Amino acid sequence: MSLPQPVIEFLNNNAATLGVPQVAVDLDLFKSGALDSFALVDFVIVLEEHCGIRVPDAEIIPANFRTIEDIGRYVSSRRLES
Amino acid sequence: MNSFITATGSYLPARVVSNEELAAKLGLTSEQIFKSSGIKQRHWASPGETTSGLGVAALRNSRVSTEEIDYLILGTMTSDRFIPGSAPGVQATLNLRDVPCLDIRQACCNTLYGLQLANALVTCGLATNVAVCLSEVQSAFLRLSPQAGTTSMLFGDGAAALVVSSQGEAGALEIVDVHLATDGKYVDDLGIRAPGSEFNGRAEPQDYEPRMNGQSVILQASRRMLSACQTILDRNSLSIDDVSWVVPHQANANLLTQLARGLKLKDVSRVVSVIENTGNTSSASMGIALDTLRRSGDLKQGEFLLMPAFAAGFTWGAALCRVTGI
Repeated sequence: MSLPQPVIEFLNNNAATLGVPQVAVDLDLFKSGALDSFALVDFVIVLEEHCGIRVPDAEIIPANFRTIEDIGRYVSSRRLES
Repeated sequence: MNSFITATGSYLPARVVSNEELAAKLGLTSEQIFKSSGIKQRHWASPGETTSGLGVAALRNSRVSTEEIDYLILGTMTSDRFIPGSAPGVQATLNLRDVPCLDIRQACCNTLYGLQLANALVTCGLATNVAVCLSEVQSAFLRLSPQAGTTSMLFGDGAAALVVSSQGEAGALEIVDVHLATDGKYVDDLGIRAPGSEFNGRAEPQDYEPRMNGQSVILQASRRMLSACQTILDRNSLSIDDVSWVVPHQANANLLTQLARGLKLKDVSRVVSVIENTGNTSSASMGIALDTLRRSGDLKQGEFLLMPAFAAGFTWGAALCRVTGI
């Protein structure tokens, strides 16, 4: 699934502050520096707001958000569960 | 009726430990330590320097007359001895009167717990001048190895002292409110397991060292500190725009940045940060930051200070103080 524009913008803005070029769908967001443990918390807030999902605390782990593809899959799975 | 923080002091051991000195032992680079924590250096106690000794030095630096102290609270995770706590050591060294001495162990929330207790003691008339010492010698408990690198890189030693009194002169900080909360289901995500009755006879060497589930701590600290700030502002009919200074527990510079963002602070320079030069001094960190702010001369009459913290437990909260006038 495609993610809402504000979600992609969050990742691009965060990446830009670290000198990372625009994020590709298969870019490892944590290895590239576009996300880290702190930014992930902010990112989840943006994701919840714009994707209409609730992310349980136990699922706020890098494995669920490693690439844009992973994030898309995760959002789809949350929507199916709700 | 409220009480007042009438004096503050702080103390850092002389020995400075830079990222460069630590990095190789921790399997990290000095840049990695700085990027993930905002820390450039920390102070570590030398052999013979104790938690009570650092607390004594901080209380002396507050320049309070020790004869006036009629209650002593000491917050630490790293007591001189298992039993008794470290408050009696401060009392003896400073030749305080035969005053009550209470150790508290709410880790990085010790300043908030100390202030709430001191405020209660003063406002109910049980004490007139309560000394709240916050002191840590954490370096003795750190494992300097790559396996413990991301934890051991954070912590420093240091102490602060806050004197809470029934009367406040100009420049004193009125304790307007303190909010505290706990959720004990996270007990294993942050802390030190042993020595403790739960692990008697089966403690492993690593149970005596700090343990931290970083992602859980970051997530819960971000949410809980923000909610504590909102709670205390709401119940005092204030907004973040009414707050002049945020003096948080100095856990990690990235967490402070995130807190400022969450609070929607218009001027992030109003978040007091000393962590770059001190590391995370746990119990002492908020007191050291507060003492640094008071000594800067930047505080003005009527200004509100918001002081959030988060600690092992998990426990969290925030204090609200106001600079008193003449």
